[in-house]
Amino acid sequence: MTERQTDIEIEFLHMRLCSPLVLASGVLGLSSSSLKRVADAGAGAVTTKSCGLEPRAGYVGPSIIPVSHGMLNAVGLSNPGVKEMVREVADYRARCRTPIFVSIFGGTVEEFGDVAEAVAQAEPDLIELNVSCPNVYSEFGSPFGADIDATAAITRRVKQRVGAIPISVKLTANCLSIGQTAKVCEQEGADALTAINTIGPGMLIDLNVRKPVLSNLCGGLSGPAILPVAVRAVWEISREVSIPIIGTGGVTTAEDALQMILAGATAVGIGSGIYYQGLEIFDKVNEGVQRFLQEKGLGSLDEIRGTAHE
Amino acid sequence: MSEKMSTYPIRRVIEHSPGLKSFYFYQDFDAVPGQFIELWIPGVDEKPFSISDLSDGLLEISVKAVGPFTERIMSCDLGDYLGVRGPFGRGFKIVDNALLVGGGIGAAPLRFLARVLAREEKEFVFLVGAKSKEDVIFSRELSKYRFYCTTEDGSFGRPGLVTEEMERIMAKDSFACIYASGPEAMLIRVMEMAEARSVPFQISFERYMKCGIGLCGQCCMDGSGIRLCVDGPVLTQDAVRGITEIGLPHRDATGCRPRPT
Ligand SMILES: Cc1cc2nc3c(=O)[nH]c(=O)nc-3n(C[C@H](O)[C@H](O)[C@H](O)COP(=O)(O)OP(=O)(O)OC[C@H]3O[C@@H](n4cnc5c(N)ncnc54)[C@H](O)[C@@H]3O)c2cc1C
Ligand SMILES: Cc1cc2nc3c(=O)[nH]c(=O)nc-3n(C[C@H](O)[C@H](O)[C@H](O)COP(=O)(O)O)c2cc1C
Repeated sequence: MTERQTDIEIEFLHMRLCSPLVLASGVLGLSSSSLKRVADAGAGAVTTKSCGLEPRAGYVGPSIIPVSHGMLNAVGLSNPGVKEMVREVADYRARCRTPIFVSIFGGTVEEFGDVAEAVAQAEPDLIELNVSCPNVYSEFGSPFGADIDATAAITRRVKQRVGAIPISVKLTANCLSIGQTAKVCEQEGADALTAINTIGPGMLIDLNVRKPVLSNLCGGLSGPAILPVAVRAVWEISREVSIPIIGTGGVTTAEDALQMILAGATAVGIGSGIYYQGLEIFDKVNEGVQRFLQEKGLGSLDEIRGTAHE
Repeated sequence: MSEKMSTYPIRRVIEHSPGLKSFYFYQDFDAVPGQFIELWIPGVDEKPFSISDLSDGLLEISVKAVGPFTERIMSCDLGDYLGVRGPFGRGFKIVDNALLVGGGIGAAPLRFLARVLAREEKEFVFLVGAKSKEDVIFSRELSKYRFYCTTEDGSFGRPGLVTEEMERIMAKDSFACIYASGPEAMLIRVMEMAEARSVPFQISFERYMKCGIGLCGQCCMDGSGIRLCVDGPVLTQDAVRGITEIGLPHRDATGCRPRPT
C-alpha cells in the first residue's frame, strides 16, 4: 500500500481521517468487500447504504438513470436489512481500519430508534440518519427531513438509544430553511450533519414510449447538476451550527471539494462522482486538494475551512 | 456508447424454440463480445442481457424465458419500443486457438465472440452443452465452425455434460485460452480443468445487477469487491482469484445472500 499524504488529513469528531472524502450513502455500500474497495481507493471514511429493519428489494428497474449533467435515482431504499448490515459491518471491521458510517432509515420515529439501536451493536464510527430520501413518498409520505419537528424528534430518539456512538443527520435541501433544520438537529444532540441528499425529485420522459423512464416515475437528482445547491446548503448550515458538516452533492473534482470546505464543510461526500470519474475519483480529488494546499502554502484544510464566510 | 436511456423499435424476432428468442434492434453503438446491455420493457422492469451479435449496427440479444421479465419479453413483437442502455462492462479479449464453452443460454455472448474470431481468422473450437435439443441455440450457424454439442437427455449431439466433452477435447488438443459462459456450477468445473492444464481463461459471470454503471453496489463480488457490471462480466483467472463467493448463492435484489438453512 502506498503511504498516504498527511496534509489532507482531517479531524472529524473523535476521528482522524486520512482524507476529507467520505463515500456517500447508497453508492457501493451494500457489502463489506465493496466498502473496503472504496476505502482502499482513497476514501477517508465510507458510508453504508441506508438500512432499515427488514430487507427491501426496492423498486424494479429502471432505478438509476444518467441524465444530462446528473443522475436520477429511485432505488426505493433497497437494502439487506439491519441484521445483515450488522454482519457486513463486523466483517468490514475485521478487514479494514478506515472508519465506517452506517446509514439508517425508518418509517416512524420509533422505528428509527429501533434500527439505530440494532446498528449500534456493530459499533460503527457514526450513525447517519437518512431522514431525507425523496423516493419513497407513497410509502412513507414526504421525507421527514422536510419537516423540522419530525427531524428533531428522530434525532432526539436516536440519540437516546445509541449511547456514545456519534450521529449525523442527513438533511435535504427540499425544505424551507436547511440552516434552521440544522440548528434544531444540533440542539437535539446531533454530532454532525450530512448535506445534502438528492434533490427534486426529477423526471425523465422517453419520447418514443411517451412515458417516464424510472419505474417510480420520478427520482432524486444527484451529480454535477446539484453542486451549487449543495454548496449553498453547506454555507447556510455552517452559519447556524458549530458541529462538523459532511458536504455532499455533485462533487467530481478537487475544486468542487474545496468549494465545500470553503463553505464550511469538514468532510466531503462523494457518490455519483464515481460514475463520472471511476473509483480513481478519490485519489484524483485527494491529489488535487493536496496540490491546492501546497500551491497556496497552506498546512491543512483547517486553514481554509469556512473562510468563504469571512 | 450510451448509459442514458434510448428506446428502439424491435426490427426482427427469431424464435429458436418455445421460450427462446432473439430480438434485433438498430443501434448506434459499437461493442465487443462479452459486453451486455440493460433492456427496459416500459412499465415492466429493466434487466441485463449479453449481446449475442452486433454487425452493421444491428444488435441482437437472445433471451431464455425463466421468470416474469423474460416471459413478458416473449410476447414483445416487431415495432415495439424497448429501452436499450449500454454497452456495459468488459468483454472478451481476442486470442487465437481458443476453446469456447457455452452452457444453455450462456452460449449467447460466445456466439458473438465466435463471429468476431472467425472474422479475424482466429482458430477456435466451439462447445455447447444444453439440457435438451430445444435449449441448443445457433446450432445450424455454429456447425460451420469446429462445433461440438452435448445434451443432458441425449436428444441432440453427444449425451452427457458439456464439461465431460470438454475433458475429452482438452485431452486431445491444447488451447491458448478458454472462453466460457453458462451456469456457475459448469463454470467452476471449467475453471478447474483450465487450471489443471494451466490454460488461461476468460469467463462471463452473472450476478444480480441494477444500474449497470458501477454505482448501486448490487453486483459487487465478495473478496476483492470488484463491480461485476463494470470490472466484468468477463473475468480472467487473476480477477477470479480475488473473489470468495464463486459457487455461493447469489445476493438477491435486497443485497442479501441466501444462507443455507
Ligand atoms: C451480465 C449478464 C448477462 C446476461 N445475459 C443473458 C442473455 O444473454 N440471455 C438471457 O436469457 N439471460 C441473460 N442474463 C440473465 C437475465 O438477466 C435474467 O434471466 C433475467 O434478469 C431474469 O429476469 P426474470 O424476471 O425473467 O426472472 P426472475 O424470476 O426474476 O429471475 C430468474 C433468474 O434470473 C436472475 N435475475 C433476475 N433479475 C436479475 C438481474 N436484474 N440481474 C441479473 N440476474 C437477474 C435471478 O437471480 C434468477 O436466477 C444475463 C445476466 C447478466 C447479469
Ligand atoms: C444510486 C444512489 C443511491 C442513493 N441512496 C442513498 C441512500 O440509501 N441513503 C442516503 O442517505 N442517500 C442516498 N443517496 C444520496 C447520496 O448519498 C448523496 O447524498 C447524493 O447523491 C448527492 O451526492 P452526489 O452528487 O455525490 O451523488 C443515493 C444516491 C444515489 C445516486
